[in-house]
Amino acid sequence: MLLKDQVAIVTGGSRGIGKACVQILAASGAKVAFVYKGSEEAAKALEVEIAAAGGVAKAIQGDVAEPATAERIVAAVLADWGRVDILVNNAGVIRDGLFVRMDAADWHTVLNTNLNGTFSFCKAVSNQMVFKQRSGRIVNISSVAAEHVNAGQTNYAASKGAINAFTRALAVEFGSRNITVNAVAPGFIETDMSEAVRNKAGDIIKKMIPLKRLGKPDDIANAVLFLCSPAAGYVTGQLITVDGGLSLGATVA
Amino acid sequence: MTLDEIFPRVKTQLVDALGADEDDVKLTSRLQADLNAESIDFLDIVFRLEREFGLKIDRNELFPESIFQGDPKLIQNGVLTADGLDELRTKMPYADIAKFEKNPKFELIGDLFTVELITKYIQSKLNQKV
Repeated sequence: MLLKDQVAIVTGGSRGIGKACVQILAASGAKVAFVYKGSEEAAKALEVEIAAAGGVAKAIQGDVAEPATAERIVAAVLADWGRVDILVNNAGVIRDGLFVRMDAADWHTVLNTNLNGTFSFCKAVSNQMVFKQRSGRIVNISSVAAEHVNAGQTNYAASKGAINAFTRALAVEFGSRNITVNAVAPGFIETDMSEAVRNKAGDIIKKMIPLKRLGKPDDIANAVLFLCSPAAGYVTGQLITVDGGLSLGATVA
Repeated sequence: MTLDEIFPRVKTQLVDALGADEDDVKLTSRLQADLNAESIDFLDIVFRLEREFGLKIDRNELFPESIFQGDPKLIQNGVLTADGLDELRTKMPYADIAKFEKNPKFELIGDLFTVELITKYIQSKLNQKV
């Protein structure tokens, strides 16, 4: 088992990419605490599913946008399992809209969840990883939309671009403590978050993807698993794009 | 507590924090130049010393930050001013300022942080406690 006896925390873990991360980390032997905000039913079902498959997963309710959530959840995980080897900052939201019509609440909601939630959880595990364990893996879920921007996503692009810069800067600080910090940038993935866009423009998007299909949550979770595994021990401060080639920007003939 | 009693305990903490060889940690060793400490290591060392000796070491106490903020009264063109040297004498009474002031370049300030400085600092903190 690749991650035997390791302890992982995944935010936004009940659905979509986060759920796939919980499944793959648990299947690789890690004990996984995952954070969900509203989808209690899905979270409980995932707990049961993982247990039935012989894994260990625990759902913890919390809104990562609330500053106190991370400390509370990391403290609970340390109390139960004594360490944190892996942190996957996945929880994210969109509030798309053209900038002239975007109100401050939509801006702050996206920044608070995507960026500040990532900050809070990194901060909450830092003492444990840096000073007590001197080891750890942090994977932040970014997006190709940070660099290959779309109209109507100033807030989302800003949050993900900031995550990319934060990832690189934190990797420098944590390097001497054998903690790697990386990001994964998904393209169009079949999740609830992308549903509206897929319904409107799914066929057009597919034509822009050299691999001719939308991504699946597992495509992203596999990249996350790699970054958490011993195989990625020498990879830090990097952004791995997993988008079927979408961001190449080529016209697919 | 005497310096001879404190030094081995400081040494153990430095060996753990820095992954240094025990033989390399001498009273004269400089944390940065000789033991390869980087900024995050200084925090680590402070936490370890607090635990080892049951002390509370305030931020800014062992490693004074005022000099590092680049205040023009204290430092100009990479060289400490007379005020800057006074600040060091006040904040770091156990540092060998006499040697440093001959060539008070900011880039050499790390040389002040020796194992001896830490050991003497801990001794003074322990004496205050009693």
